[in-house]
Amino acid sequence: MFLLLLAAGIGCAAAEDRLAEIRQRGELRWGADAEGGAPYVYPDPQHPERLIGFECDLAEALAAKLGVKARMVQNQWDQLIPALDRGNFDIILNGLEITTNNQQRVAMSRPYYVYAQQIVTRADTQNLTALEHLKGKPVGALSSSAALRLLEQSGGTDLRIYPGNVESFRDLKARRIEAVVLDLPIALFYAKDDPEVKLSGPSFAPGYYGIGARRQDVSLLAALNQAIGELVAEQGLERIYKKHGLWDERQAQLADYRPVAVAERARISTLREWPRYLPLLLRGAVTTVELSVVAMALAVVVGLVVVLARLHAPAPISWLARAYVEVIRGTPLLIQLFLIYYGLPEMGIRLNAFCAAILGLGLNYAASEAENYRAGIQSLPRGQTEAALALGLSRSQAFIHIILPQAARVVIPPVTNDFIAMFKDSSIVSVITMVELTKVYGMLAMSTYDYIGLGLMTAGIYFALSYPASLLASRLERKLSHDHR
Amino acid sequence: MITVEKLFKSYAKTRVLHGIDHAQQRGEAVVLIGPSGCGKSTFLRCLNQLEIPDSGRITIDGVTVEGGQPPRTAREKEQQRQLRLRSGMVFQSFNLFPHLTVLENITLSPRVVKREPAAEAEARARALLVKVGLEAKAFAYPNHLSGGQQQRVAIARALAMEPRVMLFDEPTSALDPELRDEVLRVMLQLVEEGMTMIVVTHEMQFAREVADRILFFEGGRVLESGPPEQIFSHPLNERTREFLRRTDARRP
Repeated sequence: MFLLLLAAGIGCAAAEDRLAEIRQRGELRWGADAEGGAPYVYPDPQHPERLIGFECDLAEALAAKLGVKARMVQNQWDQLIPALDRGNFDIILNGLEITTNNQQRVAMSRPYYVYAQQIVTRADTQNLTALEHLKGKPVGALSSSAALRLLEQSGGTDLRIYPGNVESFRDLKARRIEAVVLDLPIALFYAKDDPEVKLSGPSFAPGYYGIGARRQDVSLLAALNQAIGELVAEQGLERIYKKHGLWDERQAQLADYRPVAVAERARISTLREWPRYLPLLLRGAVTTVELSVVAMALAVVVGLVVVLARLHAPAPISWLARAYVEVIRGTPLLIQLFLIYYGLPEMGIRLNAFCAAILGLGLNYAASEAENYRAGIQSLPRGQTEAALALGLSRSQAFIHIILPQAARVVIPPVTNDFIAMFKDSSIVSVITMVELTKVYGMLAMSTYDYIGLGLMTAGIYFALSYPASLLASRLERKLSHDHR
Repeated sequence: MITVEKLFKSYAKTRVLHGIDHAQQRGEAVVLIGPSGCGKSTFLRCLNQLEIPDSGRITIDGVTVEGGQPPRTAREKEQQRQLRLRSGMVFQSFNLFPHLTVLENITLSPRVVKREPAAEAEARARALLVKVGLEAKAFAYPNHLSGGQQQRVAIARALAMEPRVMLFDEPTSALDPELRDEVLRVMLQLVEEGMTMIVVTHEMQFAREVADRILFFEGGRVLESGPPEQIFSHPLNERTREFLRRTDARRP
């Protein structure tokens, strides 16, 4: 029954005429990522509520050709294709390269821009002018970009994958990496006014940007191709690119592009081919475990220091400990990670991604461990401390011999819960270039398109990690309580 | 053995102790009686510094502590510790350490505070367990003992530090009547051995039989003191008479 409905739904979608729908709606919705999206589409620094960029101008020109208005729909860049499939917008117009791989997934229009790859280094770096010079060096590239594929093919570099361009330039200047390889328009935009970095060597490996549309939207694609053709002929594109300083002699090729037909890719079942994919996921899982275990160890120790300071230190220190807990709990982990990874280097403290991730997760969880300990300690009757003091124990002796062992039992369940949550929360560190389990899942899902199969495998791995932890905890808890209660 | 001079204590705006003076001989057993909230427990807790009096002076076996602030300097802290080491405290709610066995409860303090060797501390703990009649329970955890047994362990635990004075804060109030006797018997035995004791209790029978002196507390003052026969048979103070009438009516 469900399959029938699904089939009917697909039939419906295919039968729709997207172009007619857009005209009726009066709006062409184009998907793009404005976060660090310069010079394609980005918030105007003078008027941050307004988007600018050459693709903004292009979208408006295209929409005008279709007789409608353009509306940008924000979407994370490396998730544009799945979002297009879901129907979040009509087209992708955001530096999508015309590659066989992309053409297997979406229908691509004729090209609207000829890009090339560019190496960017710090201003004082010498002799990193070609791809082969980058071997053995830490090099940054944007997630699922043409540059990343190129570097992966040539091999031999210590690759760092970034979610955005701003972050890779920060790391370049912070000397975490030696070079960034990226599309020429981005390189021009970021490097031209920045004396600390330079374009190193000539651009290479040219390719085309095209508009992505769903395969079934044939009429829409035809209309877009015609519109692009007209813009090329009328020099409308030339005007836009000159306005943004992006016009070069390569753009002459736009006029005589000959499309190559590419068949839709057969669906990959990663579950059927699990021996190929599971090891990759497991490698990510190793990083997840390392991160979680080390960060949790840090949290458990720092949390103890914080709770001791809060309960027993003199007023100013106790107040500081309390402020620490409140500030950490009241701000997002994501921001804390950004501050540690990208903020600290500006104060001269440069941590590598792993250390920054440990520090961020550990300090964040320390606040919640401190609260767990406090609840545990305060759940003990006051008579316990009083009895210990009456017997001549000092406050610290009473804490070590009487309070701590009893509080430990109370505190084990919430701390274990936090440890299990840490396995899952650690996925957030992918924003500071750590490639852990969820990031591996994301990258594989994007290249295979099998979100479900990989998702099941990944979820399975997470479960296999956290279930033993929870079993161990309940055993420990039982053992401790069996003796004394 | 015990000297208390002008002890004052207030919580917020309520004055709990109105300048208590007290002197007690070695081997003397003193029982404090009086209505609830009259300050007798606070008095006891001041003696071993679980409460810091606002002013006044406490001397036990030659160690003197002045009221006022909690101790700050190392010397003040050492004075406080010495005072605590000279007094053993038994609480209404036993306050045994539930994560330790009976034996460990008793040996913890001698080992941690006095750094006694394990064997020595254990030998004395076992002797004390024999004394309170619980030698069979050495390896039991407190939660497997009855209330009366727990309180006897608590007494043994306090005695293990070899205090010069024993302080009992309503030791039988949390116990069912049939369990009280076993605790009172142990206390009686201590009195007979010549232990200096202060007992806060509502057990009038025990007070009458055991005390060398009775102190009647009310409103943070000692209204009347004297040997049991005087207090119980010929109380001078009207308040004492009224209090005894009410307690007698409650416990014939």
